[in-house]
Amino acid sequence: MANPAREALLDPLFNNNPITLQVLGICSALAVTTKMDTAVVMSIAVIAVLTFSNFFVSLIRNQIPTNIRIIIQLTIIASLVIVTDQILKAYVFEISKQLSVFVGLIITNCIIMGRAEAFAMQNPPVLSIVDALGNGLGYSLILLMTAAIREVFGSGKFYGIPVLPIVSEGGWYTPNGLLVLSPGAFFIIGFFIWALRTWKPDQVEAD
Amino acid sequence: MRLLRALLDKQEKIFSGKLERLHPLHEAGDTFFFTPGKVTKNPSHVRDALDLKRTMIVVVIALAGCIFMACYNTGYQGNLAIAAGATALESWRTSLMATMGFAFDPSDFLACFVHGALYYLPVLIVTLAVGGLWEAVFAVVRRHEINEGFLVTWMLFPLILPPTVPLWQVALGISFGVVVGKEVFGGTGYNILNPALVARAFVFFAYPAELSGDKVWIAAQTSTDGVSGATWLASAALEGRAAIDTGLTWWDAFLGLIPGSMGETSTLACLAGAVLLVVTGIGSWRIIVSVAVGTIAAASLLNAVGSTTNPFFELPFWWHFVLGGWAFGAVFMATEPVTAPGTNTGRVVYGFLIGVLVVLIRVVNPAYPEGMMLGILFMNVFAPVIDHFSITSNVKRRTARYVNID
Amino acid sequence: MQRSAAYSILFAAVVCLVCAVFVSSSAVSLKSRQDENAYLDKQRNVLIAAGLAREDEVLTTEDIQERFGPVESVIVDLQTGEELADVDPQTFDQRAAASDPSTSSEAPDNPAGIQRIPNWALVYRLEDNEELGLLILPIEGKGLWSTLYGFIALDADLETIRGITFYEHKETPGLGGEVDNPRWKALWPGRLAFGDDDQPRIDVIRGRAGPPAEDPYRVDGLSGATMTGRGVGRLVRFWLGDEGFAPYLNSLRKGSRG
Repeated sequence: MANPAREALLDPLFNNNPITLQVLGICSALAVTTKMDTAVVMSIAVIAVLTFSNFFVSLIRNQIPTNIRIIIQLTIIASLVIVTDQILKAYVFEISKQLSVFVGLIITNCIIMGRAEAFAMQNPPVLSIVDALGNGLGYSLILLMTAAIREVFGSGKFYGIPVLPIVSEGGWYTPNGLLVLSPGAFFIIGFFIWALRTWKPDQVEAD
Repeated sequence: MRLLRALLDKQEKIFSGKLERLHPLHEAGDTFFFTPGKVTKNPSHVRDALDLKRTMIVVVIALAGCIFMACYNTGYQGNLAIAAGATALESWRTSLMATMGFAFDPSDFLACFVHGALYYLPVLIVTLAVGGLWEAVFAVVRRHEINEGFLVTWMLFPLILPPTVPLWQVALGISFGVVVGKEVFGGTGYNILNPALVARAFVFFAYPAELSGDKVWIAAQTSTDGVSGATWLASAALEGRAAIDTGLTWWDAFLGLIPGSMGETSTLACLAGAVLLVVTGIGSWRIIVSVAVGTIAAASLLNAVGSTTNPFFELPFWWHFVLGGWAFGAVFMATEPVTAPGTNTGRVVYGFLIGVLVVLIRVVNPAYPEGMMLGILFMNVFAPVIDHFSITSNVKRRTARYVNID
Repeated sequence: MQRSAAYSILFAAVVCLVCAVFVSSSAVSLKSRQDENAYLDKQRNVLIAAGLAREDEVLTTEDIQERFGPVESVIVDLQTGEELADVDPQTFDQRAAASDPSTSSEAPDNPAGIQRIPNWALVYRLEDNEELGLLILPIEGKGLWSTLYGFIALDADLETIRGITFYEHKETPGLGGEVDNPRWKALWPGRLAFGDDDQPRIDVIRGRAGPPAEDPYRVDGLSGATMTGRGVGRLVRFWLGDEGFAPYLNSLRKGSRG
């Protein structure tokens, strides 16, 4: 993969996934993945914030004084997150209520800060956007897969539509209560990491 | 016997040849029947009459009393409830009992034993089959021999389940226990958590309705009529000591003639197992004794503190000993050598803290009337830390002595 | 790159200024929409408690407004039981009022685990030919793990329960979480909240209760969730009792009987 844009976009999906390899953004991945709709909205929000923050940081990367660069990045990210939160509250109120503090906590999501500092500060705006999209999609991929498993097996639904008729409503499926609890997401992400490292053994850390 | 030997030897060729990947399966079958004649090829190794397979067999023998109670008491409690007016569960077991000509009579020993066995054996068989499958898969994929650690996990797991647990949940539970509790850490000997308890914890949190509450402990339909299906611990949590003192004699609880998980009700059977484990040196008496001491300390403290809103505070330690899974956990779970600390000081600390935690979880946490499983799992996690500190303090002490002489 | 301190300060100021304008303009422009959402959300919960909407129903803004039309929001003084006509229900936030010392008082020790009682409460009335048809009262209290927030709906006789719903709680899914189960909620309508002495009597028992006609004061427990069921019984009785809505209910009874 010689093309830097292609690499920036595709690498974070499996080879350098922010969640499974860098183990960043776990907190929100546990909290918002009980249902598909919250996971989808959260994914979009993170991609949006990440893309804009990478773009703006990259745009002014040559003007930012080195000694205050972290504060500047944080100011930009925080502003973007607040605006995102406001938009969600105004247009998808029900879901923003379920996401509660986790939209606000995108500020502390290490993926965003990490990409701004590690990539956008050294690369031109367009490439930074591509990198943001790649990392955002890598995050979203894990988030959505986790949410799909948790919603289907934890409450017998997919995107709110019943797929496995559950016992208390006259069906045959007994929902797995562990998947609805946060540790359930931990186990699922653990299994993902296990599977990914079996597939790509070079991701295993040296002892 | 000679026929079997010949058969196994013949198969040996096949499994060394084209089916080499499946060799662990053959090896497991071979050594199950015959003492292996192979010796270690490397220069140094520890010689001990007690190898892993023999250890496991002793544990299984120690469990005999609990397994007996799992059959007898499960049936006895079911029959008792049915005799008192509960209806029998709608399941194949009930029809099979009728076909075999057994009545649900609590005074008929055989009827109780068979009724209980109809609950215990299917759970055991599912555990063996599914657990064995995972064990074989990992042995084949990782190219190592199937070792016998699993046998104990498989014997323990059915005993700590309520009789009415659905079999598919047993299968899921043991899968989780074997894979996440043991294999992700590298297999037998590397696990930090007791796999049987991991399996139990998984089903407990995943299917709370089938693994806790008032309906699952007796093999009969208990909720619709006058028969209470609650365990005595649950009654104690709600109504305090009064409920237990009037409803139950300590000896009944000690013998294990109370509702509960299949193999854990009898303190006597656990005690017998404890004697065998301690005498053969497999179970650490330090752990068992210090769990008891921790329980006495915590229960007495709560007795003294008292509480106006939580009647569970007044339950004395001698009731804690005989109710729920206390004895089973202390004897068979806490002493598991892989997950317990390896130092003697560490074992005492570990056991004591389990004892304290059990009482705290039982009494103070409003959701779980039983705390043995969570208490032991929690301390499993801390076992390496406890070992670390007991070793460093020992090193420090010895260094100090050395300096003094100098 | 190293720059002068003045440049750093200036740069930071410019970035802050741009961000501040950006954030505040979006907040201001979206404010009315957000308030409307929050208000609609509350109305929706009231409609569910009143049985005018189902939980899983997707309601548009118009639907909610239309169905909420006949519902009248009323602020009640909990101590005197009077309706306060001069307070705007739209701007009243009961949960905020309960935590503010100037608009609430400390609750006496109670089994429902309620810490503070607001001075005023927001209730909803559904008029039926200019008479009270349905009264919807906010309730809250401790379950096993969490505080449950919900509504209980009383019939015009102020005795028969018409429905109960909880819109916010964190009980164990599958056990205590079954307070959300429509089948369990369906056990409430038709039962009587008060005994003959006008004291709250309704209770959630362990095990099963009879049909409302034979067993009017008891509701089935939640299987495997004794503590949540007990909490629900206690909190319902608390809010229907003297510390809760009893003065208001008494004044309504006087009005209709006298």
